[in-house]
Amino acid sequence: MQVRRKVSFPEFNHYNYALKYFIEQGMEAQYIMAPPMTVRTMERGAKNSPDFVCTPFKSTLGSMMDALEAGADTIIMTMGLCRLGYYGELQEQILRDMGYNFDMINFAEYSTGRKRDYLKALKRINPRMNMAKMTKALTDAVKMVEYLDDAESIYYKNCGFEKNKGSYGKLRKKFLAAMETASSRKDIDRAYSLFKKYAAEIPLDKPENPLRVGFIGEFLTVMDPFSNLHVEQKMADMGVEVHRYMNVTNRMLRYKGDNLAVETAEYCEYEMGPTSTANIWGAKHYAEKGFDGIVHIKSAGCTPEIDIMPVLQNISADYKIPVLYLTYDSQTSDTGLDTRLEAFYDMISMRKKVIL
Amino acid sequence: MREAYLGIDIGSISTKGVIIDEKNNILASSYIWTEGNPLGSAKRLLGLLEEQFDKENYKIVATGTTGSARNLVGAMVGATMVKNEITAHAVGTTTLHPNVRTILEIGGQDSKIILVENGVAVDYAMNTLCAAGTGSFLSSQAKRLGVEVEEFGEIALTSKHPTQIAARCTVFAESDLVHKIQMGHPKEDIIAGLCKAVANNYLNNVGKGKKIVPPVVFQGGVSKNIGVTQAFKEALGCDIIVDENGHLMGAFGAAILAGRSSKRKEFDFSVEDMEFKTRDVNCGRCPNNCEIICVYRDGVLIDSWGNRCEKGAIKTGTKSAE
Repeated sequence: MQVRRKVSFPEFNHYNYALKYFIEQGMEAQYIMAPPMTVRTMERGAKNSPDFVCTPFKSTLGSMMDALEAGADTIIMTMGLCRLGYYGELQEQILRDMGYNFDMINFAEYSTGRKRDYLKALKRINPRMNMAKMTKALTDAVKMVEYLDDAESIYYKNCGFEKNKGSYGKLRKKFLAAMETASSRKDIDRAYSLFKKYAAEIPLDKPENPLRVGFIGEFLTVMDPFSNLHVEQKMADMGVEVHRYMNVTNRMLRYKGDNLAVETAEYCEYEMGPTSTANIWGAKHYAEKGFDGIVHIKSAGCTPEIDIMPVLQNISADYKIPVLYLTYDSQTSDTGLDTRLEAFYDMISMRKKVIL
Repeated sequence: MREAYLGIDIGSISTKGVIIDEKNNILASSYIWTEGNPLGSAKRLLGLLEEQFDKENYKIVATGTTGSARNLVGAMVGATMVKNEITAHAVGTTTLHPNVRTILEIGGQDSKIILVENGVAVDYAMNTLCAAGTGSFLSSQAKRLGVEVEEFGEIALTSKHPTQIAARCTVFAESDLVHKIQMGHPKEDIIAGLCKAVANNYLNNVGKGKKIVPPVVFQGGVSKNIGVTQAFKEALGCDIIVDENGHLMGAFGAAILAGRSSKRKEFDFSVEDMEFKTRDVNCGRCPNNCEIICVYRDGVLIDSWGNRCEKGAIKTGTKSAE
């Protein structure tokens, strides 16, 4: 009998739950949840990474080390449309040089765009996988991602206004635990409908016209709370409705890049990188909807996001909407972030009082 | 008895304090060096303010702190308002100069630009990761040249041909500066070149992409350097306002904000005689190893920062182990 693989993937916000579901229900392998990232994860990742690589490389490398120590024998790495496409290869080499013994399934090696090549990668996880089971689990996992993103967006829009501090946080924690342990589509649907039901019942103290801030930025850093030092939570806690268009659902599952490009054509003619069009569209959308501010998040040295900054400056000038630019590297401190966020909040709230 | 508000701005290089009345008139003010000891300098500052302060007619009912040591000193003086330096500066300056459109600010370790419309800040930027063109860079170069940094401006104005100095980064600026010195450039030209480099570096980094509209106010410690002010005038082609109290603007803003807020707590100068201590504790209860900073007043814990979860929660009021 063949031994089941113990598969893991670096921590990435709440998406590991969906991956776990797919690997366990669809591929009939075991999934090892990467331990929550800590300062130690970042330190070890940074120590073993090239200095000038972007921060997500360092944190994911550290998270892979944590996962291997937690018992994983197979690491999955994604493909990507920027330097991310090379990361899996380099991380595998670094981990092997350090002496780790494991299998690496790097989707960048199979990203030809043809379905049968992706299937080859999946067959490596389990050569005797059941196609019907896999397809079913994949559909369920995709649905789970949509639910996770939707619940997250409800959470950040409202958690800053709850009457009893912590009620939203408790509910979301329960919801995430239910998603982590889900083993059928029924479990997934039930957890989501319960979240929606209870979230609507939480008493809010929200003004009619609350401060609204839109978050945009680089794929991993803007979505992953550990990587951005919980910036959305910090902003929400000041009493702000936090919106973020950029998530896996909108960028990968329902992405309509060509149509977004049409709507942003006055600001940029070409696609500049994996998330540029979506972010420019997001910024323009927030500006048109009369948001009070935009926060742009990237890791140091992220070329696609640096490239869209002049476009954001144009949007900011045209619509008179302030933009806060935040750059993260492995040394970024909470103190510096707090100072800038607090000042941004003060600015947009004083500004709102004058405009109204 | 009339109400007064105290504002303290504890920066990396200097510590500033003002006491204002309800009409924002300055009753007492002081400006001293921090010298790497924010608690000590805050105590000294309070002593200097106490000498100028009219205790017979006024009482301090609200206290605000700002600057990079705002939390620490805020805990020490029992501040009713702890505010970031960007907001404090914006509020201070727009109160004194209601028509201002652009605030340029260069301090000891950071520099920022604040754009103002109709009396409120609408956009700002603050330097990250880079110390080029801040006050501490100028001080260290002054030492190299054997000149007091306070004299920099006057010397710069005597130069007719400022030396070109690469100012993109302090490391490059320093090596370029040494090179120019060894090539025999006169000292005043080098100093004038440095002032120019600071202004240009600021406009290229912090001011990048920002529309600078007059009236422009220049403040922060470096605004006392007339050479840099002159360089800004030339680069922007407009008049630059330097307020005589420009270096106090953060403290002034903190005092105004403390006054505006509804929180009230009478300030007592006796904190000057109390003993304050900070201790750095590594939690160690999980691999995150939070660095928790604890502040003690006369051996009793009054505040702590840096803890991220319930595992490292600390109760105030506990006695220090020592």
